[in-house]
Amino acid sequence: MKPDVEQVMQGFFGTLLMDVAPHLNAEYSMGNVGIMGMMMFLTAEEHDRAAEIRVAENAEMRALFAEAAGSVEDAALKAKLTQAAAGGDTSLRIKALDVANAGLAGVLVELQAHVEASRAAWAGPIEARIWDYLLAATERRKLTFPSLG
Amino acid sequence: MTMDDLAPRIAAYLAHRMPQASDIEVAGVSRIHGGASRETFRLSASWREGGNRKTRPLILRRDPVTSLIETERDVEYNAYRAFHPTGLPVPEPLYLETDLKWLDRPFFIMEQIEGCTAGSPFNPEPYGALGESVGRQFWTHLGHIAAADPKAIGFDANMGSIAPDACWKRELDKWEQVIDEDELAPQPVARAAIRWLRRNPPPPPPKISVVHGDYRTGNFLFNPDGEIRAILDWEMCHLGDPFEDVAWAADPLWAFQRPDRPGGMIARDEAFAIWEKESGLTIDPIRLRWWEIFNSLKGLAIWISAGKEYQTGANRDPVLAFSSWYCTDVHNRVLAKRLAELSKEARR
Repeated sequence: MKPDVEQVMQGFFGTLLMDVAPHLNAEYSMGNVGIMGMMMFLTAEEHDRAAEIRVAENAEMRALFAEAAGSVEDAALKAKLTQAAAGGDTSLRIKALDVANAGLAGVLVELQAHVEASRAAWAGPIEARIWDYLLAATERRKLTFPSLG
Repeated sequence: MTMDDLAPRIAAYLAHRMPQASDIEVAGVSRIHGGASRETFRLSASWREGGNRKTRPLILRRDPVTSLIETERDVEYNAYRAFHPTGLPVPEPLYLETDLKWLDRPFFIMEQIEGCTAGSPFNPEPYGALGESVGRQFWTHLGHIAAADPKAIGFDANMGSIAPDACWKRELDKWEQVIDEDELAPQPVARAAIRWLRRNPPPPPPKISVVHGDYRTGNFLFNPDGEIRAILDWEMCHLGDPFEDVAWAADPLWAFQRPDRPGGMIARDEAFAIWEKESGLTIDPIRLRWWEIFNSLKGLAIWISAGKEYQTGANRDPVLAFSSWYCTDVHNRVLAKRLAELSKEARR
């Protein structure tokens, strides 16, 4: 699809801000156009990277669960971790990746709460691994705010 | 309802509230952008009274069908009523109306502060050369809010009492419930923050203060001389620990990548020194840290809620979608970094 989505979204962002907004009389409408323009800018970035981010996150969470399943003693959680670790992404559509991502994130919440409450020797390293993952994931999802200056 | 439809209905309402006035006209009704928790309109009212023609610019705040923050408009109105006589720069509140027959939804009317602007939290230099002056006033006023006696100024009306050692739990319970009800996907960082906050309750404040609840860049008006003329958006005000406001005002989200200068104004150390002097209170780093982490969580709860409103179609205001994307992203990063460090400390 040409022109590239990124170019179209960024182009529309500029058109909205430079050509459309100045001709609007209503303050509320001008504000909305500004917000929508900024979101087009953010969409340009997200469109390009969305699948890659989700695939990476899902793979990292599954690897983390596989590692944790070897240490966690709680039988129910161990089974849940083992099952989650065994899965894979069969579709690269964003909606499908999001469903998988949400399922894995739910298991991650459960694992992290369990690990935080444990003083076992294995718990500290797993907790650190979880935070390494969350730091990387939140940084990877960082949105670039458009420069308006 | 269009703006043209609104004007005569507002005029009819003013006629009802101002029996001494005649020939009331309402003009220039225009919705102001950004008030995601309440529809805000500016307008100009004119009328004949005592043989003279009088004009007054006004602001009308009407409940939306749904909102970013579910609040009672009488709480906000009462905050203006309590603080206006104290000299704190807030608009004069005029009328509070809950009868739906006038404008279909509850609303209140207050004075319009003219010739002022609000800084954007998403501008690296929201106040330009006025940053130092505006910043000193910003923290001075917050100190005065913390120092105010809620009972003496009538702020505590219909609020219910709260014990100092219960402030943190009430606020955390409230915002955790928002996340429980509104999250569209599991939130590992938010859940980790909630668990940390419950494991590490803060010391109680020495006294209960007025908490504005959303005191930050973007929620006050200043004039071209750099004078703060109006502190706005009191819809989340309550009684509680004054550190809640200090931490929210200093939250990294409002600093646009300048956490050393909260809200894009003065340096953090100077800001806190001014607040201590004006409030008569002392910054306790351990207590402040709890409220800082809490406030980033509260922010996440608000942005998560905004995302649900937009996703379900309950409210299609673009600002809800924007805050759900961008602000969630910022607060997740802020909290992850902070909590990861605390996790390491706890394991040492």
